[in-house]
Amino acid sequence: MGNVGPIFWIFCAIAVLAISSMVLLGNYRNREALPQDVVTSSGYAIRRYWFWAVIAGSIAAFFLTIPSFPYLSAAANADAIHFPVVAQQYGFAAPPVVPLNRDVIFDVSSKDVNHGFGIYAPNGAMMSQVQAMPGYVNHLRVRFTVPGRYLIRCLEYCGIAHAAMQGGFDVR
Amino acid sequence: MSGLRVMWTYMLTGLAIFALMLLAGIGLRASQANWIAIDPGTFYSILSLHGIGMIVAMALAGLGVLWYLVRKEIPELDPRVAYMAYGFFLAGVVSVIVSVVPGKYGSLWTMLYPLPFVGAYWPSWATGAWLVGNALVMIGFMLWCAQVLGALLARYGGIRGMLAIDYVFDRRAFAEAGRTPPPPAMFAAAIVSFDGFITGTVGLVIGTALIVHWIDPSVVVNPLWAKNLTYLFGHSFANLTMYMAVAGIYVGLPLCTKREYHTSVPLAVAWWGTLLFVMIAYFHHLYMDFAQMVWMQYVGEISSYLAAVPVVVVTIYGGVMLVHRSGMRWSLGSMFLYAGMIGWVVGGAAAVLDATIPVNVDLHNTLWVPGHFHTYLLEGVLLFILGWVFVNLEQRAGAASSLPVRWLTGIGMFGGGSLFLMSFYLAGAAGVPRRYALEPAPGPYLAGLATIGALAFLAGLLVCIVEGIRLARLSKREALT
Repeated sequence: MGNVGPIFWIFCAIAVLAISSMVLLGNYRNREALPQDVVTSSGYAIRRYWFWAVIAGSIAAFFLTIPSFPYLSAAANADAIHFPVVAQQYGFAAPPVVPLNRDVIFDVSSKDVNHGFGIYAPNGAMMSQVQAMPGYVNHLRVRFTVPGRYLIRCLEYCGIAHAAMQGGFDVR
Repeated sequence: MSGLRVMWTYMLTGLAIFALMLLAGIGLRASQANWIAIDPGTFYSILSLHGIGMIVAMALAGLGVLWYLVRKEIPELDPRVAYMAYGFFLAGVVSVIVSVVPGKYGSLWTMLYPLPFVGAYWPSWATGAWLVGNALVMIGFMLWCAQVLGALLARYGGIRGMLAIDYVFDRRAFAEAGRTPPPPAMFAAAIVSFDGFITGTVGLVIGTALIVHWIDPSVVVNPLWAKNLTYLFGHSFANLTMYMAVAGIYVGLPLCTKREYHTSVPLAVAWWGTLLFVMIAYFHHLYMDFAQMVWMQYVGEISSYLAAVPVVVVTIYGGVMLVHRSGMRWSLGSMFLYAGMIGWVVGGAAAVLDATIPVNVDLHNTLWVPGHFHTYLLEGVLLFILGWVFVNLEQRAGAASSLPVRWLTGIGMFGGGSLFLMSFYLAGAAGVPRRYALEPAPGPYLAGLATIGALAFLAGLLVCIVEGIRLARLSKREALT
C-alpha cells in the first residue's frame, strides 16, 4: 500500500479546525452569560457571510474539479490503445503488458457480478479505478509514466474470495 | 397508551441492537487485525448483519424520539399504529437474523444484483429470508412515515403549511392571519416521513424485483437500474437516520441552555434543501460506473456539496449559537448533544471530500468510506440519541453526573472513538480496500489500533450505561417522593 495522500491531511486540517472552533465557541462557561437575542443578532449577521462563503466554496470546488472528471477523456482520445479487461469471480482477464508513456483505455466489463478494477502502482499507491458491471463496458483512460509491475485489486464486494481477487500487468 | 412508552420501546430496542452490533463490529476488526480467527464466509455473514443491524438500530432509536415529539404536537397520533410499525421492524430483524445465523447469508446489505444469486456459499432460502426481512423493515418504516406524514399534513393544513411555504413567501400575511409555522422538530419529522416514504417505496421496488428473481431466475434485472435503486434506497435510509436524531438539537439543547430554538425563514428553506438533496446525493455511489449517464455524475457532486449547506449554515450553526455564552452546565446529556454536532461536521467533511469525483477515484470503496459513515453514526446519530436520553434522565432525576464519570465516558467514547475512526481514514487514504476479510498492509496493523479504540469506546459506553441506570433509578425515587 502507498503512503497517505494530501486528502488525508486536508481532512485532518478541517477536522482540527472544526473541533477546536466548536469547542471554543461552546465552552464559554467561565465568561458571563449573554441574553439569547444579543448572541443571535450578531450570529445572524455573521451567518450571512458564512452562507455565501459556503455556497461560493461549493460552486468553486465544483467547477475547479470538472476538468479532472474521468468520464469524457476516453471518448476524446482517438489515438489511445484499447485493452479489454474482463472480471469474473475471482480473477481478471487483463493484458500482460501495457505500454509506457502512451494513453491506454481499459474497456472493463464483468462476466458475472459487479466487481471493481483498481490499479495499484509499483509503490503501492492507488492509481485509478472503475467498476466492472455485467452487461456494460466502462472505459477507463490511464497514462503510465513509471515502468514496473502494477497490481489489480477487486474494489467491489463480489463474494467469499473478494479479498483474494487480484491480477496484474507489466508496464514497459 | 402514552407517547413516552412508544419512545422508550423504540429507543431501547434500537440501543440494544446497537450494543450487539457493536460487539459484532469489534469482532470483525479484531479478525482483520489477525487477533482472532474468523473464516471469510462467517466474516461476510457477520458483516452483512452488522451493516443492516446498525442502520436499523439507529433508525429505531431516532424514529422513537421523533414519534414522541410529533405526538406532543399532535395528540391524536395513535400509538397502536406505531406499535404495528414496530412489529414489522421486529419481524424483519428476526428474518434477517435467521438468514444470517443458521443461513450464513453473506452478500452484505448493499446486495448489488446479481450478487446474492451468483457464487453464493449459503442456501437459497437464506437469500429469501434476507430479502423478506429487508422488505418487512421497509414496510414498518413506511407505515411509520405514512402515519406521521398524514398527521403533519392534517395538523398544518397540507404540504404548504407543513413546509411553511406561506410563512416563507409572505410572512406579514401569515402573521396577520394569526398563524404560526411548525416548530423546528416538525420539519425534521416532515422531511423524514416524506423522503422516508419515497425511500421505502424504492426499497420495496428493488426488493420485490430481487424476490421475483429469487423465485424465478429466468426473470432478469438490469444491473445498472438495480444499483441505482439499491443506493437510492440504501443511502437515503442511512442518511435519514441523522435527520431522525436531529430533533435532539432542536428540543434537547434548548432544555440544556434554557434558550429557544425558533423556526425561522432560513430554517424552513434549509429543510426544503434537505428534502431534495437527501434524495439525489446518492448519485455519488455510482461515480465509478462510467456507464451511468454523465449528467447524473455532475449533479451528484454539486448536490453532495449543497447537502452540507443546510447543516453547517442552519442546524449546527443554530445549535452553536444556542450554546454560545448561554451559561449552560456541561452534563452527560449536553456533552453528547454538542459532541454529536462536532461528529456530524467531521463525518460530513470526510463525506464531502469523498464526494469530489477526482478524489473519489482514489477513495471509492476504500476504508475511507466506512471511516466517514462510522463517524457520522457513532459520533453523530448515536450521540444525539444518548444526549436526548440523558437530558431527559437528568431532568427527571434533578441530578447530573459527576466530573469523573463525564471524563471516563468522554475519554472512552471520544478518545477511543477517534482512534477507531482514524484507523479507517488512514487505511483508506493508503488505498486499503473496504470489505476485505484479509487486508493487505497496513490494514491489519491499523485494524489492531481500531480494535483497541473500539474497546475503549465500549468501556466508555459501559460507564455511560451504568450512569444511565443510576439516573433512571434516581428519577423513579424522585417521582415517588
